[in-house]
Amino acid sequence: MSGTGQPVLEARGVVMRFGGLTALSGFDLTLHSGELVGLIGPNGAGKTTAFNALTGVYAPTEGDVEVAGRRVNGMRPHQICELGVARTFQNVRLFKELSAFDNVRIACHAGSRSGFTSAWMLTPTHDAEERRIAARAEEFLSVMELSPRRDELARNLPYGEQRRLEIARALATGPKVLCLDEPAAGMNASEKVALLELIRRVRDQFQLAILVIEHDMRLVMGVSERMLVLDHGVTIAQGAPEAVRQDPKVIEAYLGDGKLRLRPPREAGTGVP
Amino acid sequence: MERARLVLRSVAPFLVALPVLWFVQGSLASYTSFVAINIAVNVILAVSLNVVNGFTGQFSIGHAAFMAVGAYTAALVTTGLESLAIPGVPAAVSGQAVFLVALAVGMLAASVAGLVVGIPTLRLRGDYLAIVTLGFGEIIRVIIENTRVLGQATGISGLPACTNVVWAGMGVVLTVVMARRLLQSTQGRALLAIREDEVAAEAMGVDTVGWKVRAFVISAAFAGLAGALLVHKIQLVTPRMFTFVKSMEVVVMVVLGGMGSITGSIVAAAVLTIALETLQAADQYRMVIFSMLLIVLMLTRPSGLFGTREIWDVLPRWRRRRAPGEAP
Ligand SMILES: Nc1ncnc2c1ncn2[C@@H]1O[C@H](COP(=O)(O)OP(=O)(O)OP(=O)(O)O)[C@@H](O)[C@H]1O
Ligand SMILES: [Mg+2]
Repeated sequence: MSGTGQPVLEARGVVMRFGGLTALSGFDLTLHSGELVGLIGPNGAGKTTAFNALTGVYAPTEGDVEVAGRRVNGMRPHQICELGVARTFQNVRLFKELSAFDNVRIACHAGSRSGFTSAWMLTPTHDAEERRIAARAEEFLSVMELSPRRDELARNLPYGEQRRLEIARALATGPKVLCLDEPAAGMNASEKVALLELIRRVRDQFQLAILVIEHDMRLVMGVSERMLVLDHGVTIAQGAPEAVRQDPKVIEAYLGDGKLRLRPPREAGTGVP
Repeated sequence: MERARLVLRSVAPFLVALPVLWFVQGSLASYTSFVAINIAVNVILAVSLNVVNGFTGQFSIGHAAFMAVGAYTAALVTTGLESLAIPGVPAAVSGQAVFLVALAVGMLAASVAGLVVGIPTLRLRGDYLAIVTLGFGEIIRVIIENTRVLGQATGISGLPACTNVVWAGMGVVLTVVMARRLLQSTQGRALLAIREDEVAAEAMGVDTVGWKVRAFVISAAFAGLAGALLVHKIQLVTPRMFTFVKSMEVVVMVVLGGMGSITGSIVAAAVLTIALETLQAADQYRMVIFSMLLIVLMLTRPSGLFGTREIWDVLPRWRRRRAPGEAP
């Protein structure tokens, strides 16, 4: 599957600097439709920064990002989303005071071009549109096994379901590429395995390219075909899970030189999306 | 047949409201109808500000300026076309037609002002946005105060008394229908998403700046409608009617009723208008009273009376609490 046709997402030499800090340097990535790639690395390695640079939250300081062959540097996140890149957030950013159903419905608007006027006049096109959106939202809730929670406010859902709702919402935008930032964080081992299985099923069903950040290296190895390891913003290894695991640079980054970097993964990133 | 049904559904609120308002109009004493029109104007203001402050979560405090733009524009239209007589049409009818045009033009002018203010400011967030809308509001008022055709500080007097309970009531119905249908549509949900989490909304494909500007423009248009209706009741328009105090009044109504709650805005606007009418003597303390009210509210019930819910979401709860077996 991989390596054929045009890549759906391509990053070339992406650099992301914040003042004097280089959070990401020379980041290269080629994603093809149907691929599931794991992005790993210790705390502060630049994984979330890479997501932010790909999805337009930050404009890359240097380098190019292309979505289906189109250069997207400097585009706003909603434009990049429309081109087919959807994401979830490390710190779960749901529309808290809205129902699960509405959270997903909001993401379904892509393809709807009607303005306020049709909503005010209650035109037949508006009705049809609302019905189409509702049906689509129900479908994605059911894919993520959230149908029974349809009318629950997002903030009242248990943590694991909030994470799944975020994925349902991202899927509803109709992406070609799905970027998941630690989707299994805060879950226990068996929940994690179930979730990653679910993610793999979603990939097969929708023929997506998925890029997933996960702290548990063993876990992500089990599901991804390819891994990419970041440390201090630099890609230190890339390739098949087995090869990556045995890479001395990776072992050093993870097990370290006995320095403080062997903390348990932080739950709440760096306070940025 | 089906088409007729759809058209009917879309205009039903207006068809129902018109005869009712006509009836009410005939049965109200002149002072009561004056208060009723005041309430209507404030309901229009509060509900329209709620589109920006409540639905979209952007804190604008310059609503009075858009009210002024609508009021002055409509005043220019009605005074300019007063002598106009369409041959064969009774003066009363042509006067009403002119007023309808004046209201529409007033709304249009206010929405243009909303666009001009909205585009540069809506990239800002939170406190910054509040301060800048306040600043723009004052600028618009100062411009009016220094424009000769608008009568400078003395304003324009002798406007035709066009606004009655029917016009004001129809204005309320139009505003409420606009807000309600908006809330129940994808377009409205995009606004709610912006309120809930702007970064996430943007990442889910919502053009946050575009929708914020649109919400702002709509809100301004309806503020313009309120202004136009008000000045054609009191037959006078002056810049003093549209100061920061008026903007704050509307903000208090929205906050009191609950950000995002349409019925909350309606109730709060009505209650505060009546309170202000009965406390005429305390007029010079208006600002103090409102500031105090706002502070107490923010401390005790920051989400307003109804939060983002509507009155009917809250009422059954009271009933339910009482329900199991106990006497009320
Ligand atoms: N907006 C920003 N401004 C300044 N520095 C930032 C910003 N965003 C990220 N950084 C810095 O960039 C570095 C990489 O952060 P990033 O969040 O990408 O790490 P991560 O790999 O996602 O880590 P974690 O596993 O903890 O989520 C960190 O040192 C962080 O402090
Ligand atoms: Mg991170």
